[in-house]
Amino acid sequence: MRIDEKKEMKWIYEIIVGSIPPFSFLPYQYSILLQLLLLLVIGLALGFIFGLKPVSLIYGSLGILVAVSWSLLILQLAPTLRKFRAPLSKDENELLERYREILFHRNHYEAVPGLVIFISFMLYIFNFGSNLLEYWIGEKPHVILLLFVSLLIWDICYRMGLGIWTSILALWRSINLRKLAEKRSELEHTPYTELNYLRKLDMNNVFFGMISLLLIPIIQQDSFLVAIILFFFIFLIMTSFASAYIVSKVPWLPPDIYNLVMESSFAYIGNAFHGATHVTPVVYIFDGQRIFFNTSKESKKFKILRKNKKVAFLIDTRDMNNIYENKAVLFTGEVKIYGLTDLPFRFMQMLGARSLFIKKYPEYTRKYATSELPKAWQLTPIIARILIEIKPARIIYWRGAKQISVPV
Amino acid sequence: MNIPDEMRNILYGNYFGYVCTSDRNDQPHITPVFFVYDEPSQKIFFITNDRSKKVKNINENPKLSITVDIRDKKNPFNNEGVMAQGTAEITEKGPVYFLPEETLQLYTDIYLEFKGKYQAVIENRPLGENDVIVQIKIEKMVYWKGPHFKSVKLD
Repeated sequence: MRIDEKKEMKWIYEIIVGSIPPFSFLPYQYSILLQLLLLLVIGLALGFIFGLKPVSLIYGSLGILVAVSWSLLILQLAPTLRKFRAPLSKDENELLERYREILFHRNHYEAVPGLVIFISFMLYIFNFGSNLLEYWIGEKPHVILLLFVSLLIWDICYRMGLGIWTSILALWRSINLRKLAEKRSELEHTPYTELNYLRKLDMNNVFFGMISLLLIPIIQQDSFLVAIILFFFIFLIMTSFASAYIVSKVPWLPPDIYNLVMESSFAYIGNAFHGATHVTPVVYIFDGQRIFFNTSKESKKFKILRKNKKVAFLIDTRDMNNIYENKAVLFTGEVKIYGLTDLPFRFMQMLGARSLFIKKYPEYTRKYATSELPKAWQLTPIIARILIEIKPARIIYWRGAKQISVPV
Repeated sequence: MNIPDEMRNILYGNYFGYVCTSDRNDQPHITPVFFVYDEPSQKIFFITNDRSKKVKNINENPKLSITVDIRDKKNPFNNEGVMAQGTAEITEKGPVYFLPEETLQLYTDIYLEFKGKYQAVIENRPLGENDVIVQIKIEKMVYWKGPHFKSVKLD
């Protein structure tokens, strides 16, 4: 994605507020926070002036808290997408380009859902016998108070709309990204860091949905509105989880490397400690997303790994008849060592890795299991054999003599 | 000094190895290389580009290791290999005259099939632009076959 520096990724409401002093003097995010803080102060002051019940002040503050939390989450979108590097696939790049364009469209479609929610809500509480307004600010509220409450309602409705807008777009983007990823060739891919950003943004939207539950006390006496909030909550959580899940299934390795890692049987692991290096062959598995290998607690490499988690992990095809067609990939980075403490939370992962090992190396597993072996070779998971995951920070790929650095 | 036969057989019978270097922060790096072993001097030689990561690493930290192995997808008991650890020295753009005749012959035999880059070396002409010879003085060797290990210290 080529980032056009002049084109700012901002939403209309944030732009308007951001151009009024004193907000205009502050960076974008802070101005939103200041605006909401000011709202809180004004709200409390108005509450005291017009002698509102304490419970009204609490409800008002809760509303503002929701708006602040939502702002904080949703305003991470623009900076995250700004640091996004271009995917190394034309189609995926175009998709993410379009996603960004619609998200921050110059016609400001993002305000539409919020506007619809706001108008419907106002019509509802003024016309349909719901006595919420009276419950909040008394029977004959002063016009200033009324205006203030409307502003607060707008603040919440607008952000609710943004939540719907961003989560639907995210789901659309993830589904299409997954589809495009299946058509990749050679070294086309979207790097891991970028996929991770997308997943984090989706998780932000999950929190966004959860925060909406804080609104329930405010509207608790109107079961229709409670149902709406619950619906909103479920909708956001479902779409965002689905989007994050789909992104997690998009391979972060380009097909050439993905296939090499999938098809090869051996890898070499290099460690270093106090300048002395160590390199040995290992068997490994790849679940499409992560690379694991097994080692013995007694092995030299495990002893070094415990002191220095930095590794080099090389996987290659070795065809001595056709040396120039040889392919190799080198991952450098760190490892994650799975121990007993990981069992409760990572049990399924560890079990999955074990079954992949059995599937990929059936003869190995059989031989390890049946023979009289030194302790280091015994196949007791966790106790004697340690599961280790490679967490690459850099990837280098060789095709024949050609060396290519692949962004992670 | 003589080394056990198993180690010698591996080192003379193969010409493809995996070199592991590390930078000053102990970040390891691996590359496959073509190498030659010379028993009398207990040295391993390989050629690389002077702008490669391994040369950069060797300049920061001359200690390195190289693994040469035979792998069997089916039976782990047939997996056999040697890891040699030692200190590297980079000889810039010099011809390989310093190699004993036997080693040179072996070197020639091995590299005869690899055209291009290695041609220059085989014919004892100066190395190609940016090529350097790395000599590893072996200090320690580990040999394994299946679950059995053997190690030798050299000085």
